[in-house]
Amino acid sequence: MGIHQKIIGLFLLASTLVYSQEKPWSHWSIQSSYFQPSLLRASATIAPTRFYSQQATVALINGFVEYVLENRISVRGEGNIMAPNGKLLYTNSPEKFPRNFTSIYAGFGYHLGKRNWKLDLHAEPGIAISEMAQQPFLIVPVAYQWSISPSYMLKGGTSFYFSKYCHFFAEINYSNGWIRKTPLTSVSIAQYGISAGLGFHVLTKKN
Amino acid sequence: MQRIFLVLILIGVLQANAQDNRRYNPAGMLSLGGRTTVSLFNDHENEMTGSGVGGQFRLRFSDAVNTDWFFDYITSDILNYAHRTDYHIGWSVLFYPINNLDYFRQKEEFKPKFRPYILAGHCFDYSKIEAKVSPLDGPMSAERWSSAVQAGLGTHLELSPRFDISLTGQYMIHLGNHIETEYDFTTGALSFHEHKGASLAGHVLVTLSLNYKIAKLWGFTRR
Repeated sequence: MGIHQKIIGLFLLASTLVYSQEKPWSHWSIQSSYFQPSLLRASATIAPTRFYSQQATVALINGFVEYVLENRISVRGEGNIMAPNGKLLYTNSPEKFPRNFTSIYAGFGYHLGKRNWKLDLHAEPGIAISEMAQQPFLIVPVAYQWSISPSYMLKGGTSFYFSKYCHFFAEINYSNGWIRKTPLTSVSIAQYGISAGLGFHVLTKKN
Repeated sequence: MQRIFLVLILIGVLQANAQDNRRYNPAGMLSLGGRTTVSLFNDHENEMTGSGVGGQFRLRFSDAVNTDWFFDYITSDILNYAHRTDYHIGWSVLFYPINNLDYFRQKEEFKPKFRPYILAGHCFDYSKIEAKVSPLDGPMSAERWSSAVQAGLGTHLELSPRFDISLTGQYMIHLGNHIETEYDFTTGALSFHEHKGASLAGHVLVTLSLNYKIAKLWGFTRR
């Protein structure tokens, strides 16, 4: 084998090495981040929530749907329903705590972090739908009335996207509002809660 | 003299041409958003701080002029004997005194920035005041329709070319009829009085809104 043939052989080998280096790297850079624009994610979980003004802790069933609009921005809607007989701790009289409670929020999220581990921040205006006792001292049995109250939710959390369709999430939230339709002073629904679990996602558009 | 006119016309043509050749023009941009509002310093006697929720869309007309079209649902307490509900539906014009921060022309990576504005507008208002404890003959309430004007200051915090958080502080003056409550603290008797005619009763509204640009209705960008 002459010197020319050896040089050509080395060039050929080098070119295949360069190609083999580039191909897996570009593949990795695309596939390594599941969190991309057009990602749709959703989940439902039980969220222990503390109504600290009422000194009551309840189990809320929390569900959300979120769509990633940009690399850092998402739009999100979520709801909470008080689980039937879900009051875990109950220290107040019925007229000071709703018999039924549901809240619905819609807002935006901001996501920090690279690749598959994200820090999530959400701000969501919404409403709280609650059923409160009316005139508890005058009428037996107690009459109840539904009302809709303005509310908002602030949420911070983290998510880890470990597969093409699944991720783990853990969040802490604070929300506030007032139920005005009460026979006594208005009832604060200031609360903080936690939620965590397995979420599901899918990319709705192909790159 | 003719030369001066010629130069002026030339400058005018060049400016017009420069305007036409702009690739990015914010006019026609439509945003959609949600908002939460705090109502402070209410003129109604014994009325306390209120809180509200609402939605809005925002339509931009030029570099310096934008408009908000909003709906708010606000509730507040009148001490512990009544509560008030306000529905606002209206519009505001936003004027950007500093509009040279042209994020549409950014070539490098976007950096969050503030964009302050002056705001003024008009809205229609429906208010209802209800007694906390209903008399035996049924619920006790009073309601009114009125018009209002508002003005204030605010700023966008633009976190991406399409997404912004806006904080606005404005004073809203309700024009027309108004309702007064009279409460006797010794007997617990409550009564409502409606006063007709012009009266200037208002409140400070602090609004935080989240907005996302969803469409460009006219003035499409050139390729």
